[in-house]
Amino acid sequence: MSNDVWALAEIPSGKLANISLQLASKAAELAKALGGEPAAVAMGAGARDAAQDLGACGVSKVYASEGAVYGEYLAQPYVATLAALIQQHQPKLVLWGGTNFGRDVAARVAARLGLGIEYNVNEVALDGDQIVMSVPAFGGAQTVKMAFQGEGTKLLGARQNAFPTVRTGGSATVEDVAAPTAPANGAKITGTFGTEGAQEAGHLGKASDGHDIWMPAASRAKLEEAQIVVSGGRGLGGPQGFAQIEDLAAALGASVGASRAAVDAGWIPYGHQVGQTGKTVKPTVYIACGISGAVQHKAGMGTSSLVIAINKDKDAPIFGFCDLGIVGDLNVVVPQLTAAVKQRKGQ
Amino acid sequence: MNIVVCMKETPSTTAEKSFSPDMRLERRKEDAIPNPFDEYAIEEGLRQQEKHAGSTVTILCMGPATATDTVRKALAMGGDRGVLVSDDALAGSDAISTAHVLAAALKKIGFDLVIFGNAAADAYGGIVPSATAELLGAPLLSYASKLDVDGSTATIERQADIGYNTVAAPMPTLVSVVKAINEPRYPSMKGIMASKKKPLDTFALADLGIDPATVGAAGAREKALSAEKVSTQRKGEIFIGNEGAADRVVAFLVEQKVL
Ligand SMILES: Cc1cc2nc3c(=O)[nH]c(=O)nc-3n(C[C@H](O)[C@H](O)[C@H](O)COP(=O)(O)OP(=O)(O)OC[C@H]3O[C@@H](n4cnc5c(N)ncnc54)[C@H](O)[C@@H]3O)c2cc1C
Ligand SMILES: Nc1ncnc2c1ncn2[C@@H]1O[C@H](COP(=O)(O)O)[C@@H](O)[C@H]1O
Repeated sequence: MSNDVWALAEIPSGKLANISLQLASKAAELAKALGGEPAAVAMGAGARDAAQDLGACGVSKVYASEGAVYGEYLAQPYVATLAALIQQHQPKLVLWGGTNFGRDVAARVAARLGLGIEYNVNEVALDGDQIVMSVPAFGGAQTVKMAFQGEGTKLLGARQNAFPTVRTGGSATVEDVAAPTAPANGAKITGTFGTEGAQEAGHLGKASDGHDIWMPAASRAKLEEAQIVVSGGRGLGGPQGFAQIEDLAAALGASVGASRAAVDAGWIPYGHQVGQTGKTVKPTVYIACGISGAVQHKAGMGTSSLVIAINKDKDAPIFGFCDLGIVGDLNVVVPQLTAAVKQRKGQ
Repeated sequence: MNIVVCMKETPSTTAEKSFSPDMRLERRKEDAIPNPFDEYAIEEGLRQQEKHAGSTVTILCMGPATATDTVRKALAMGGDRGVLVSDDALAGSDAISTAHVLAAALKKIGFDLVIFGNAAADAYGGIVPSATAELLGAPLLSYASKLDVDGSTATIERQADIGYNTVAAPMPTLVSVVKAINEPRYPSMKGIMASKKKPLDTFALADLGIDPATVGAAGAREKALSAEKVSTQRKGEIFIGNEGAADRVVAFLVEQKVL
């Protein structure tokens, strides 16, 4: 086995995901410490082009595999390519991101090759030859240190935004890899809908079974990748309350999150839910408006760098884990804040 | 149609949780519940059964011997029978070992459609469904927010990067579901009574032909070294009142170089 460290890149809709840059940066750092080569595996449309950004984050080689088959099936073609590359080159570690794509691909590769796999990793440290990973437990109340055992390549799954993107400005050589043939009994993508008007923020209409399709503005980062998140809870008082949240988010260039109470009330679609049963976010700033701060909500945002809370109840639990707490009425403070941010930015 | 729902036993969300000295989760029987995400999987299994006459629903769980109670809690929602895979050698199994056990049990039970939750509320792994699919050489329709079965094809809707995708797979297939797919029913009094009499088989590793050395703590490819409480050292500045609050937030964002 080599000491090489790889990053599994993810290129949804032909555009490299932020998590891939974070993984490439970490792969470069770990490979250097281990004396191996940092590389990335990029598959699907845009794989060769992705090499430039991946190289800029420090990987020296990109295994690039393009082919229509990747866009036609879930997981399986990616698994075929990645598993074959791992068998051929035996890297020490493959870093993958905790996205739906990452889970589906990495779990199949681990099962196929019988490899060790860890997930939700927030931090990695080397203790001699041992790779020590920090993983949250009990909704983030504790941190568990994990290590791999046994031989073979290990698959390390990182949480979104666990590792910073470090652009060192290098470049990577591209090694072309042939795409596999279509799986015999594959999960085949047969259609796409709900993309019309995806440039506009807001409600796009309803899916065939009646659920809402809600799209963030194209210019706005995905919730899990956002540097600023403005979230609203039951304190908004109704769906119209999210208009204020949208305005503040637009002024800050932020993404919109929500508590489960707001989602369950039907004020905003589930895709915006932050917390134990929703998304995990780790932005630089998380602004919670009218959210009490239940442990299940904290589980999804507790590792944000800075937390600002606006709540009219001075005893709300959220004030126990914020950097700046405003005890006030969000209906007054949020619009004023939006105006002040716009003024500051000269908008 | 032979429908199997994979259900994991997890500690209840509000239960006090701790690790034992050998870094295992200390499980108390009274705190155990069906993984909340698996309620959506069970509900979907029951809805498919209602749509496809003559179908059966089996709840499959790998867990401690006491998990029979948890399987019965699941059967109170509906379903025909339970299967619990339990063996002392399974304690400390990692996700890939769990997938091996579920795959072997599924082969023994037989299946047309297997439904999973998308993750378990204990460790948020979310990797057992696709690992199991790989070991069975089967497709996985993952993260389904809608499921239709028509003849020998299953079709789902799932959220894509932009909009939604429809994805189809030939049966037999595995599916993992997200919360948006349905609203799970509450068990009725009648359902709770009926669950007590439903057949519940227990398989040991020997019944599945699995070598005990390859699973459990003995076969684990990862180990926990230590655990510590997270102390968040936040500044915790509190500003009281609407007056001047917006300006304080802007000043804070500027101090932190965000604005
Ligand atoms: C298994 C399980 C999983 C869960 N998963 C999640 C999850 O993923 N995410 C999640 O968020 N929750 C989750 N929950 C729910 C969680 O326990 C809370 O019920 C939920 O987070 C509460 O949402 P909230 O803070 O918006 O509402 P509330 O707790 O009702 O809080 C509303 C807050 O708004 C304040 N407020 C009201 N009016 C104003 C005003 N005008 N100005 C300022 N403040 C105002 C109030 O003082 C109050 O503090 C889960 C629960 C369970 C059991
Ligand atoms: N021990 C188990 N018994 C039955 N099903 C399980 C078990 N572990 C995981 N699963 C299934 O796999 C899904 C994902 O679990 P996990 O990968 O542990 O987060 C769950 O929602 C269950 O459907």
